[in-house]
Amino acid sequence: MEWVRLIVSAVFLLLGLLVFISAAIGVNKFKRALNRIHAAALGDTLGILFMILGLVVWKGISFASFKLLLVVLFFWLASPVAGHMISRLEVMTDEDLGEIEVDHHEDL
Amino acid sequence: MSRLRNDYENSRFHRFEKWVDGEAAPTELKLETKEPVWRRPPEELSGPKLNEEKINAAVYDERHNKELKYFRVVNRLASVVLCLMLIGVLLWTVVYLPEFGNPDNPINNEVSARYIEKGVEETGATNFVTGMILDYRAFDTFGESCVLFIAATCVQVLMRLDNSDDREKMKKKQAEENDRIYEPKNDLILQKVSCVLVPLLFIFGIYIILNGHLSPGGGFSGGAIIGSGLILYLNAFGFKKTERFFTEKTFRRITLAALTFYCLAKSYSFFTGANHLESGIPLGTPGAILSSGLILPLNICVGLVVACTMYAFYTLFRKGGM
Repeated sequence: MEWVRLIVSAVFLLLGLLVFISAAIGVNKFKRALNRIHAAALGDTLGILFMILGLVVWKGISFASFKLLLVVLFFWLASPVAGHMISRLEVMTDEDLGEIEVDHHEDL
Repeated sequence: MSRLRNDYENSRFHRFEKWVDGEAAPTELKLETKEPVWRRPPEELSGPKLNEEKINAAVYDERHNKELKYFRVVNRLASVVLCLMLIGVLLWTVVYLPEFGNPDNPINNEVSARYIEKGVEETGATNFVTGMILDYRAFDTFGESCVLFIAATCVQVLMRLDNSDDREKMKKKQAEENDRIYEPKNDLILQKVSCVLVPLLFIFGIYIILNGHLSPGGGFSGGAIIGSGLILYLNAFGFKKTERFFTEKTFRRITLAALTFYCLAKSYSFFTGANHLESGIPLGTPGAILSSGLILPLNICVGLVVACTMYAFYTLFRKGGM
């Protein structure tokens, strides 16, 4: 039982690490701001979830793991919105967006 | 026998008098002015059109400028030498540092031992750090929170509009400086999320401040969290909504009240040579929320000052004022 838990948590942690590494590569490889925001947001949402799930499985369910899940909730609320605001600014200010097509909604 | 002159205006004395009064130069009246005769017609004066690129290339000829070359070489050499000297000095001092982890090191003196052994007993705070900064060394923390307040006021002074007596001019200036008409952006996503997040942030900040003497945290970190919540609210909903509860007046009142309370409660230690003086408030049982005497109210004061300062900085630096 202990071994299964360890393996499951290790798989989660490795998955999270994979997501974070790909996010870091994406942030440094992509040229345009919108693409880079997309890559960075990946790490802040999926990577955080995998990492913290791994930690929760490792340590078992307790009050601390509840707090960790709250951290995930906070990141899922805050990070996409921050990305959305930055990308909105990018769309509004950058005239040369390349082949990216943007629908302008004034009411949003 | 004197003769009365009829043409006094043309007399020498009148001219002299005029010159003394500064109305006319003595020679001015004699001069005849002529229109200057142009040798050449004025169009030719401009000459052939000056080639700006050529002139710029000649003036900023960096390749053939020997002084510039010399200066650059010296500059680089000097920076390298300066860096090496700094590294050398720092390494030299490292040699004289005591060994890491040695029990006889000067930091392991009776002060920290006293804090660790008697801290809980004397301050009533289970969090040693809070017990230190808000009880033993409360005067330091008072200075820190004053620094925050002073920084905010300095920014306010620097960003103040010049006072002009003309009310119309003042109005015009204010209208020019005002960029609140572009706010808020009314982003639906941000507004919905901040509806959820802002109360959570406030509660979390208040929790950290109130538990400052029990768990890691305290006035500074909790105040920063509350300030960030305020900034998020401002970003989502704009000044119209925040001005209902937070204006410059509120900022002034809150910081003044908090700092004054802190000063009255703790500044006696400055006069008694940082000696402990009984506050009269029972310390209570360590670990309970209502314990450790003055630390809880002082934490609240520091938290208020920090939150107000964070928010004030944000609002001041985005041009609109508070």
